[in-house]
Amino acid sequence: MLRLFATIRKEYRLLFRDKMGLGLLFLMPVVLITVMALIQDTPFKDYQELKFDILTVDNDHGRLGRYIREGLDHSGQFRIVDSLQGQPVTQEQAKALVNRGDYKISIIIPQGATGAIVSNANKITNDLSRRMGLPFMAPVRLRNDSLNVVIYFDPAAKKAFKSAIHQALDNFLTQVETDLLIERIQQQLKRKGAAQQDSLDIQLKAIGLQEQSTVPGGGVDVISNSVQHNVPAWSIFAMFFIVIPIAGNMIREREDGSLLRMKLIPGSYLAILAGKMFFFVCICVVQFYLMMLVGIYLLPLLALPKLEMGHQYLPTLIIAACIGLAATAYGILIGTLFKTPNQALNFGAISIVILSAIGGIWIPLEVMPAHMQQIGRLSPLSWGLDAINNIYLRNGGMGQVWKQIGLLLGFAGTLLAIAGAVEKRRMN
Amino acid sequence: MYSIAVQDLHKTYNGSLEPTLKGLSFAFPTGKIVGLLGPNGAGKTTTISILCGLVKAGKGSVQVLGIPQEANYRERIKRALGVVPQQIALFPQLTAFENLEYFGNLYGFKGPALKTQILALLEQFGLEKAAHKETGKFSGGMKRRTNIIAAILHRPRLLILDEPTAGVDVQSRSMILQFLRDYNRSEGVSILYTSHLLEEAQHLCEDVVIMDDGRQVVQGNPAALINALPACRNLEDVFLHFTGSKLRD
Ligand SMILES: Nc1ncnc2c1ncn2[C@@H]1O[C@H](COP(=O)(O)OP(=O)(O)OP(=O)(O)O)[C@@H](O)[C@H]1O
Ligand SMILES: [Mg+2]
Repeated sequence: MLRLFATIRKEYRLLFRDKMGLGLLFLMPVVLITVMALIQDTPFKDYQELKFDILTVDNDHGRLGRYIREGLDHSGQFRIVDSLQGQPVTQEQAKALVNRGDYKISIIIPQGATGAIVSNANKITNDLSRRMGLPFMAPVRLRNDSLNVVIYFDPAAKKAFKSAIHQALDNFLTQVETDLLIERIQQQLKRKGAAQQDSLDIQLKAIGLQEQSTVPGGGVDVISNSVQHNVPAWSIFAMFFIVIPIAGNMIREREDGSLLRMKLIPGSYLAILAGKMFFFVCICVVQFYLMMLVGIYLLPLLALPKLEMGHQYLPTLIIAACIGLAATAYGILIGTLFKTPNQALNFGAISIVILSAIGGIWIPLEVMPAHMQQIGRLSPLSWGLDAINNIYLRNGGMGQVWKQIGLLLGFAGTLLAIAGAVEKRRMN
Repeated sequence: MYSIAVQDLHKTYNGSLEPTLKGLSFAFPTGKIVGLLGPNGAGKTTTISILCGLVKAGKGSVQVLGIPQEANYRERIKRALGVVPQQIALFPQLTAFENLEYFGNLYGFKGPALKTQILALLEQFGLEKAAHKETGKFSGGMKRRTNIIAAILHRPRLLILDEPTAGVDVQSRSMILQFLRDYNRSEGVSILYTSHLLEEAQHLCEDVVIMDDGRQVVQGNPAALINALPACRNLEDVFLHFTGSKLRD
């Protein structure tokens, strides 16, 4: 125990003597988190959060045009633009503007569209009336050209975006068609007997859609936003950078001979290593909470959402410590394998960037191709992020994170064993 | 009893074609100051590393202070042995006191007793004023002296020093040599030491082992060796007589 505590005190002295290094150890992650949360905010916004201008050419001037405009307007995602510099937009203009990329979408409602829908509804109603033996016949167009609402997309538009718009417009069309049809049927029935009027309110929406939270208890319902992803993800990334000071510390001890002195003293080197690791894990945990504070207090000042940490405080601490332990063990292995601080710095920094990129730190694993996801699941950074997401977003407890804890501990144990074997070989 | 007995020691480093030790043998009784001499690359540091358990020997046997080669003999050797490496083995960012305090803690010493002992040793080595200065900012002589203190905190029975006087000024050197004589006399501690300064070894050592190319070439009392060879006036002549004047690198 004395060896352990003496080593912790020694590491503390070494680190706190290097004021500059100490400052950077805590300042850099804060800067990283802030910058990353700011620049990674935009790509994270859903289409729902963005507003698009829709260039609308209404040649119909009827009910369909009105429905489409009202519907698009109502959804909140779109702004209808139907005139430019006081002049109504023409189809040719719209096509050119979308092609140039000035607008993402344009909708052309053809002349006579509403008429065609009315005519179709009349035809169905006439058909029904005839079968029911009713006399009245509504006017029906003879020519039945199929009319199309034309959509122009910016050539650079994404497939998902296109299909979302298609779906929305399809909905409006169906709605207008059913509305008109029901209206005609009502008119026809009214003609038969006014007494039945009150029972004729046909309710279209028999079944609605309702989104509910899957979070147990339902208390917190955190929406996955940029801050919820970026703060934990980049915190883990920053914590892993502890490998650089650790590897530097190990290599320096080997070079300045102090490692030799420690080996000349009887007793297990494991206790010394444990003290060193404990100290650096504590540093990692302090870094972690510092970055959480940035997410909670600093980022909202920069017009970003506030970080929600869930209600599982002990599992969060344990996860932070396990991530710190995995990072520390990785640093010890790098410090053992490489001979110079430069080698360790290069390998350490680049390998962490790679592990973080495949591990879903830069962009969430879910949006990567399936085979990349499988590789990404091997990254210790992804285990840490999974565990934190389970706590922050899914309100999980120990039950939802023990697997990741096991993986992180196993990773740390394996790397230490490799470092031990390498060090042992050096004796020959 | 022998303080060190080495028998037919062989060592080839991993990845190295040429063996470093090729059947080294020597032995000396407890209580003596012995010099282990040899040209650069003769294998002095390798021998010391094997003696203190840092490096595994290939073939051959090593006996230190009669400690039997049982399960934990390496730990027992470490406890009985004080080693001053060729390299300065200190944390340069820590002060002399902090360094010695930490190493003392690793030996299991703590509290006021340790503090008193450290301060006394620092004073004995003329370092009391520098106690709270970072060792990285020390002069070469001060570093060497601190390096020696770190090896005797636990009162070893055998002290091994690898070039303790390399790169130090005359004052520091005579202080160190005087300390070794006193330490050997008053505490009865056996001392094995290496040096390239043969005049120094001639005056300090009761016995010298001259080795070359991984083997012992001669062992004996310096004065007796000089007398035995009529052409030799001092230990340096004896050394050259046995090792030749060819460059080793
Ligand atoms: N770790 C090592 N791996 C491979 N070869 C080594 C290693 N350490 C030493 N050697 C080689 O072993 C030989 C003896 O080295 P050693 O340091 O024991 O000599 P020395 O007598 O102490 O020399 P010096 O007087 O220069 O200190 C040298 O040729 C050296 O290159
Ligand atoms: Mg040497």
